[in-house]
Amino acid sequence: MNTATQKVMGRLIDTLTPVKRLPSPSLRAAAWLALGIPYVALVVLVMSPRSNLAAKLSDAHFMIEQIAALITGLTAAVAAFATIIPGYDRRIAWLPFAPLAVWLASLGEGCLQILTADGFRNFASDWFCLPAIILVGTVPAVTMAVMLRRGAPLTPKITTALGGLAAAGLGNFGLRLFHPQDSSLMVLVWQMGSVLLLTLLCGMAGRLLLRWRLMNSNDRAA
Amino acid sequence: MLNEPELTSRRRPHLVRTEPSIVAENENLASGANLFRNRLLDRIRDRSMTQQANDPTLERLMQAAQTGDARAYECLLSDVIPRLRRMIQSQRRFLGPAEIEDILQDVLISMHSVRATYDPQRPFMPWLLAIARNRLADGGRKWARRAANEVLVDEVPVTFADDRANSEQERQFDSEGLRKAMSDLPPRQREAVEMLKLREMSLNEAAAESGMSVGSLKVAVHRGIAALRKALVKDQ
Repeated sequence: MNTATQKVMGRLIDTLTPVKRLPSPSLRAAAWLALGIPYVALVVLVMSPRSNLAAKLSDAHFMIEQIAALITGLTAAVAAFATIIPGYDRRIAWLPFAPLAVWLASLGEGCLQILTADGFRNFASDWFCLPAIILVGTVPAVTMAVMLRRGAPLTPKITTALGGLAAAGLGNFGLRLFHPQDSSLMVLVWQMGSVLLLTLLCGMAGRLLLRWRLMNSNDRAA
Repeated sequence: MLNEPELTSRRRPHLVRTEPSIVAENENLASGANLFRNRLLDRIRDRSMTQQANDPTLERLMQAAQTGDARAYECLLSDVIPRLRRMIQSQRRFLGPAEIEDILQDVLISMHSVRATYDPQRPFMPWLLAIARNRLADGGRKWARRAANEVLVDEVPVTFADDRANSEQERQFDSEGLRKAMSDLPPRQREAVEMLKLREMSLNEAAAESGMSVGSLKVAVHRGIAALRKALVKDQ
């Protein structure tokens, strides 16, 4: 065997310590959600829930969108945790696209109704959505980043984009509980736009956030 | 060896000039067929490696390694290193032995750093091969970057041909003067400079050998270097 490789092998054996095995992606996603939901509830309480929340809970359209947002967040988290486990089928990255499609379809249908009835008359800017989603998604995003760094950075950009989608999806779920904006067109542009923008930004930060934690040359040679 | 693909691509236009269409078409067909055959062979080899290694021992060894069993880890590494080397060699035929060993070491270190992600319920070899393929891709990117930005030269010029430049170099590396200045240093400073600067020992190693504390070694080497500088400048 090559001497340098032999040295590396010896070093790896010398530095071997017991490790805590990572739970399965679905268990980790459940743990992430269990940490994120209380924070989202706290933010909703601090920002004070919207006055018509009880009525909205019986609105089928609102509920479909909220459930789709939550499931998008959860499936994106499962997919993100699966992409850091070597040997997993990479097609799992497509998992959140089904609930995302339901979410988009529901918003799209509402948009069509608005556009055919009033056109763009009711469209206005709503810059509150982006910082609000960031506020609600901060703790879930940080938790996600910490949890992702324990895995293997096989596809860093895809992994962080999925993590970002999970946090932003959860953020949007929380936002709609205190932000009284229900026009599908506005929700599609400002809220979904913010979610997709945050997903894109997280994806771009992939290589910065997730790197192989390798030994330095001194450790190798030691 | 690294320049071979470049040479081949430079020769190609000459061949094309003699029999433009037929040669180019044949070359394309041949290279396409070769590429396809190589990929197919790689895939078959990969699959057979996974099948051969579908031996529960590897799973058990890795499971034991996760609990900190160094003996099991040693067995595991001894088993997988030759397989990984063969895999890297088959997929990176254009690399030299040293570069193949570099990639192999990267794969081993990467595997070590993410060993917590292995689930004993799943087969070991696909887990390891996923890491290996990822590191191979990274290694390929690194190699491509290096090939694009670095120029290979047979011999690096040590100094400039100009006399004025050489006189400056020689004055700085006046070995006789340096030896004399070293012998004039107080023993502790000399010892510190010898260990830390000439023998390139770490502070901890030097402290263990000399019996001095790390702090006093730092002070001694700092004063020693200052004294040497002063002595050499005075001599000039």
